[in-house]
Amino acid sequence: MKPPPFDYYAPDTLDEALALMAQHGYGAKALAGGQSLVPTMNFRLAAPSVLVDLNRIPDLSYIRLAPDGGLLIGAMTRHVQAEKNPKVADKHPLLHATMPNIGHPQIRNRGTLGGSIAHADPAAELPALMRAVQGRIKAQSARGSRWIPADDFFQGFFTTALAEDELITELHLPPLPAGSGWAIEEVARRHGDFALVGAFAILHLDGAGRCDHVRISLFGVGDGPMLATTAMGVLRGEKLDDEAIATAAEAAAQKDVDPPSDVHATASFRRHLVNVLVQRTLTQALARAAGQEVTA
Amino acid sequence: MRAVGSSIPRFDAQDKVTGQALYPGDIHMPGQLHMKILWPDQVPARITRFDVSKALAAPGVVAVLAADDVPVNEYGLIMPDQEVLVGRVGGLVRSIIDQVALVIAESEEQAEAALDLIEIEYEPLPGVYSIEEALAPEAPLVHPEKGDSNVLLSYRIRLGDVEKAFAEADVIVERTYRTHPQEHAYLQPEAGLGFVRPDGKIEVIVGGQWMHEDREQIAHALALPEDQIVVRYPPIGGAFGGREDMSVQIVLALAAQKTGRPVKIQWSRGESIRGHHKRHAMIARAKWAAAKDGRLLAAEIDVSTDAGAYAYTSTKVLGNLTLACLGPYEIPNVKVDSRTVYTNNIAAGAFRGFGGPQGHFIAEMQMNHLAEALGMDPVELRMKNLWREGSRLATRSVLPPGVTVRETLAACARDAGWEETDAGWQRPRVEDLPAAITPVHRAFSLDAAGGRKARGIGIATSFKNVGFSLGYVDESWATVELHGAGAIERVVVHHAGADVGQGAHTVMRQFAADFIGVPLDKIELIADDTDHTLNSGSSSASRMTFMAGNAIRGAAEEALRLWREEEERPAIATYRYVPRPTTPYDPETGEADPNIAYGYCTQAAEVEVDLDTGHITVLNLWNVTDVGRAVNPAMVRGQIYGAVAQSIGWTLLEDLKYDRGQVLTDRLSTYLVPTVLDTAIHIAPDFLENPDPQGPLGARGMGEMPFIPTAPAIVAAVHDATGIWFDELPLTPERVAMRLKEVGIEDQD
Repeated sequence: MKPPPFDYYAPDTLDEALALMAQHGYGAKALAGGQSLVPTMNFRLAAPSVLVDLNRIPDLSYIRLAPDGGLLIGAMTRHVQAEKNPKVADKHPLLHATMPNIGHPQIRNRGTLGGSIAHADPAAELPALMRAVQGRIKAQSARGSRWIPADDFFQGFFTTALAEDELITELHLPPLPAGSGWAIEEVARRHGDFALVGAFAILHLDGAGRCDHVRISLFGVGDGPMLATTAMGVLRGEKLDDEAIATAAEAAAQKDVDPPSDVHATASFRRHLVNVLVQRTLTQALARAAGQEVTA
Repeated sequence: MRAVGSSIPRFDAQDKVTGQALYPGDIHMPGQLHMKILWPDQVPARITRFDVSKALAAPGVVAVLAADDVPVNEYGLIMPDQEVLVGRVGGLVRSIIDQVALVIAESEEQAEAALDLIEIEYEPLPGVYSIEEALAPEAPLVHPEKGDSNVLLSYRIRLGDVEKAFAEADVIVERTYRTHPQEHAYLQPEAGLGFVRPDGKIEVIVGGQWMHEDREQIAHALALPEDQIVVRYPPIGGAFGGREDMSVQIVLALAAQKTGRPVKIQWSRGESIRGHHKRHAMIARAKWAAAKDGRLLAAEIDVSTDAGAYAYTSTKVLGNLTLACLGPYEIPNVKVDSRTVYTNNIAAGAFRGFGGPQGHFIAEMQMNHLAEALGMDPVELRMKNLWREGSRLATRSVLPPGVTVRETLAACARDAGWEETDAGWQRPRVEDLPAAITPVHRAFSLDAAGGRKARGIGIATSFKNVGFSLGYVDESWATVELHGAGAIERVVVHHAGADVGQGAHTVMRQFAADFIGVPLDKIELIADDTDHTLNSGSSSASRMTFMAGNAIRGAAEEALRLWREEEERPAIATYRYVPRPTTPYDPETGEADPNIAYGYCTQAAEVEVDLDTGHITVLNLWNVTDVGRAVNPAMVRGQIYGAVAQSIGWTLLEDLKYDRGQVLTDRLSTYLVPTVLDTAIHIAPDFLENPDPQGPLGARGMGEMPFIPTAPAIVAAVHDATGIWFDELPLTPERVAMRLKEVGIEDQD
């Protein structure tokens, strides 16, 4: 199928784009990489009356070091640019490890980081990553700009805190605490498909070897990226070993998620996978926190 | 340079990869109308109200056609058990594959909008949605007019005395197997154009597998002589058996006849998935016996397939399956009972392998279970029992010469690391196999090294008939024209065989060049329509290379004789190739000479199983098919890669889900076919060239064979890795992980 008719604008500046968003409001959609929006329009699941194409706006594609040692990433940065960027590999190995799991090379050549986060697919990697690292999203409109913490940004099934006239212009990924361990794992039916279940884990140990920081962020199991708060509570302040990790993984599977059944997997299999992936990511993160080499 | 044996580029390759080739969906005519099909939303059901008047009055609508508009409202490749259109008060909907009515309008949007204006009400009827339900006592009947059972057809083979053999056997293996439907998922959904030509004939441009059969079925439904119908095949976007039966052919001709204008149709993917047949689901109970030394003593099999709501080619598939379920083995005592049953599911029919994959899943799983029970290497056990030159089938006939299944097994086993020692064949130890994963694959967490993994290796072998079976009089016509004065300057070959993407038209040119002794660029092939060719039969049953080659050889030899001896200019000869006759099963004993010829294929698989997620990565797939003579080696390898990809999809991934006759997976986002990353990391597409004495230049058919042994080879490898047998397909991660969790496994490390 093809989309119903729509008006198309390709502004050359951000101000023009923001003015168009303000003017057209709810009927307008921003076109970034088009990897989700265009198929959605072709299937007529979305029928915006106006498309505001952001691809001609300069200066929205960049990867810079942030003052806190993390990264500032322009919203129109293509996935492939983050995947191949040496600064990302050096300063944010978790983002670096995440990128190959997103779609296929063809998708990563066009898709953008800002677009993926604005789309907020519950089975996508980057929204869950933003929650795992406690990132922030810069929303800009003709009215001004604001930073929204990732924990507040994702509000439900394909729903975000963005107002209808706002665009994402920048992402802030703070650095992981020095000496912390991290991991990402996901399971899909095929390579490059959206995850049946995916998990991020970040943890840090204090001088006594107790866990003083932990984030477990899951995707594919709810209406948006979600934190495994019960499992995180199990680990906080504890010395971590296989048993503690197994307890936390069981808590994540039984208490933190209420996954759906569909043609790809039953809810009980997804629960099983949450257990497996939380266990795997925590085990890898713990090894990294302990200074061990991990080949994922 | 001889053309046969060279990997010359396909003559149609450039047009296809640059988008210049026009497939049926790309072809338009000025003034064309657009047609949409009203599909039923309840199955089974009786139509109690049917009123098209509002749809007919809708903007742009030119015609609305239903059951009463079809002159002879029946069709079917084997038997006419399906109505072209079921829309009328009292009409019976048996399956979502039924077409209710046609809306023909000036634009696609107008046709689509008018579908909603057809007023239709259904009275739901009780249905049967599985083999078990269809065979239950008092089951609702899918075709009440056909008697008191849902069984469409049954066969039996009786040889020797199985009970006596079971009583004397050292080892007996008894298992139940289940295999699932498969969707062809060809690149191009059904599409076409129908119109009335200036000469009054109705022409249908469409993708199919057998243009003369399409013509016959169109003519029958329209009550016209066949010569008033022309079927034309432009480039075809894949087939795999799925285009062997009618989809849009009859309704396009009907619409063109009724409106007098060109009519276009283009199905969506959802319409394609609901609107054409599937591979048969199967349930089988098998009980096989062997002596301590590995000699097979008896095989007893009871097998049923789900034909869906209409016959399509179910009876022919059953004929193949009835033989394939015994594998390529000499078994002295045999008892096979097979049947195919109507259900209210989508009809089942031809799909690459045509009963071979289901049959060999039974036979090869039994052999692998027996090897385990006997403590014998699976290659060694097979070598003790495989067919040889002169072996007799369970149907008592002697195999046609060129029996090379042992050669394929030996070559494949060696490729996969087996060794032939003084103590017989011995399997490789997994730890001795080289690491197979390349870094690019390890970039995905799906195949990542983390977690508990186990590797294993398995093997399976197979046979497949070449050409139509069991008493069908197969034929293939060809005409060769030699033009020129002194020397042959131009050769025109007429042959109707469909190039469904496998490269048949390139193969025909190669044969013609060598049989006539001219370079390839002198060959012109006319293969596009029924007006300029004679019947060549179907591009199916791995028969086109074998049949077309023999037909073109016959025509070429006669044309050359006319050219040389009679000095005719041009010299034109037409030849009908008819292979050696076959015979149908005897109804009581199954005695038959079932097939013209055979091809053989063995595969070994090495897998890695994630013991927690259940994900299976096929690390290596070694294939050895005996192709007799590789007419075009690159295309042979292409067929092997394609068959293996499709077969791995069937084994691991593809999972057609129904809910009471409604298909739940009618998109390619829900019905998952493998991408190149989901097939095998390494595929070794090897082949042998032991000539078939009946084949043109020794060539055997080979398009289906590399599909057939994949599933049992992978299941054997998974067993090697985990110690668990999976007797039911597909091996989805969920099925594997849940079973591993239930049974438990010793960590392989």
